Amino acid sequence: MGPRVRGDDSSIGAPSLSANLQSTAGSVLAMAMTVELPALDQADVTTRPAPTGRLRRLARPALGLLLPVGLALAWEIMVRLGLSSGRLVPPPTKIFETIMELAKSGELARHIEATLTRVAAGFGLGVVAGTLLGAISGYWDLARRLLDPTVQALRAIPSLAWVPLFILWLGIFETSKIALIAAGVFFPVYLGVMGAILSVDRKIVEVGRTFRLSGPAMIRRILLPAVLPAYVVALRVGLGLGWMFVVAAELMGASEGLGYLLLDGQQLGKPAQILAAIVIFAIIGKTTDWLIEIATAPFLRWQDAFGRQSGAA
Amino acid sequence: MLVLDAIGKTYPNGVNALERFSVDIRLGEIVAIIGGSGCGKSTLLRAIAGLDRATSGTVTLDGIRISAPHAKIGIIFQEPRLLPWLSVADNIGFGLSELPAHLRREKVALALARVGLTDKADAWPRELSGGQAQRVAIARALVPQPEVLLLDEPFSALDAFTRRDLQDHLLDLWADTRPTLVLVTHDVDEAVVLADRVLVMRPRPGRLFEEIKINLARPRDRNSPLFDNFKRRVLTALDRSLDRSVADADPKSTAGEAMWW
Repeated sequence: MGPRVRGDDSSIGAPSLSANLQSTAGSVLAMAMTVELPALDQADVTTRPAPTGRLRRLARPALGLLLPVGLALAWEIMVRLGLSSGRLVPPPTKIFETIMELAKSGELARHIEATLTRVAAGFGLGVVAGTLLGAISGYWDLARRLLDPTVQALRAIPSLAWVPLFILWLGIFETSKIALIAAGVFFPVYLGVMGAILSVDRKIVEVGRTFRLSGPAMIRRILLPAVLPAYVVALRVGLGLGWMFVVAAELMGASEGLGYLLLDGQQLGKPAQILAAIVIFAIIGKTTDWLIEIATAPFLRWQDAFGRQSGAA
Repeated sequence: MLVLDAIGKTYPNGVNALERFSVDIRLGEIVAIIGGSGCGKSTLLRAIAGLDRATSGTVTLDGIRISAPHAKIGIIFQEPRLLPWLSVADNIGFGLSELPAHLRREKVALALARVGLTDKADAWPRELSGGQAQRVAIARALVPQPEVLLLDEPFSALDAFTRRDLQDHLLDLWADTRPTLVLVTHDVDEAVVLADRVLVMRPRPGRLFEEIKINLARPRDRNSPLFDNFKRRVLTALDRSLDRSVADADPKSTAGEAMWW
């Protein structure tokens, strides 16, 4: 007996779900994650002759840097020329100085470690719970009917609304912070996994049936690889939300962490420190997102073939 | 021997797709099933494959009753249905997972050579043309050496030239191990080129209407008068199966138009 995978569920369309998710998470993701389009990039490269192609490959990222670097430079010059005091918007060198100072005193490492630990724990919990429940709901009709309405209802509550309750239940220390992050990560992962399983091509599942795959073999050889691309997207969206919620959690009271640096900077009037924390958030957020991308790339190589195909045809 | 005994299928919505369909198919025989739309051709094929259960009647292969997919029965669909995350070689070896790796590699290499895609072994399915992809699907189905190979309009999505190419190629592959082929098609030309026997079905409810033996030596010349003669007989039977008189039939279709919609 093969799994019942339905691709025609009209009430829950997976693509629209994930699209929805991405737009709600858009604000965070804009900073922490830019979804690159390897297919389009590659097609672009292959259609060009080699020498100009190489130049373009180098020039394209540079083009993206032009605006932020140009703005930073312009601001630096303005402040240096005395056109602005740069008190509320410190120039790049000031921000860099602040980062170096924090790094030298060992403060920075402590804050980064605290934040990373929270994100890692919350992300891990959220991913495990979201994957398990999402898989159960996607795979098993009865479970979806039972579980999904409740999860969807909970999802409709802005996650920050849980904060007071989490603090009452779990205290003001790590547990409540990690719970909040996990809650934020849970929903996109749950929806991503469930939607991906529901949208697995029934025709491909039938191929598995004709080769008489057992239940576990069907999961391992058909469902998992089919679900993986959407799962990676869900993980990346989840991670973006994890970074958003760690800031929320740390703003609400913490003695260390990058969010604490933000709050401390505000209360003591140190805009350079706030900007330094923001820059570090951006760097670490982008790095962790990139790590997911790198770690999963070997399994998704088959998707990149699109670029080569259009080049060969 | 593949025995279909009084197979019937009524869908839950009350549609009677297939009624008391019986036929015996010898090992190594090529049978084409042809008929207007809604005559239950695909329903029949899926019942033989064990993918959907018939509501009445039995399918037996060598005395074994078939009610679920069986190792001795392979199927090729209208679409190649390759697994996009596996290379061409791994797709072909998909049904051989129980074999030790070196044996599997050997068989896959042989099959790749046999369908002329050795240079595509490491390509991804998306990089293949429609005809190449369908050849991989054929190789995948044949590599476990099924006794019966079912084909559900396997070439209908391809252009006319590729289709002829693949029809000849299929016969070529068939000659290697001579499995039983049961082919569902819309294409009169295809049925007459491939089959030993053409089963014409009539719709609503799907039923066997007429059986035409194609006594032509292979390889068959598509342009010979004998070939045309068989084609005309199949077309006439099709027309009658739809209660159209032959005289009223569309002159184009009696002139041997290849596609039957």
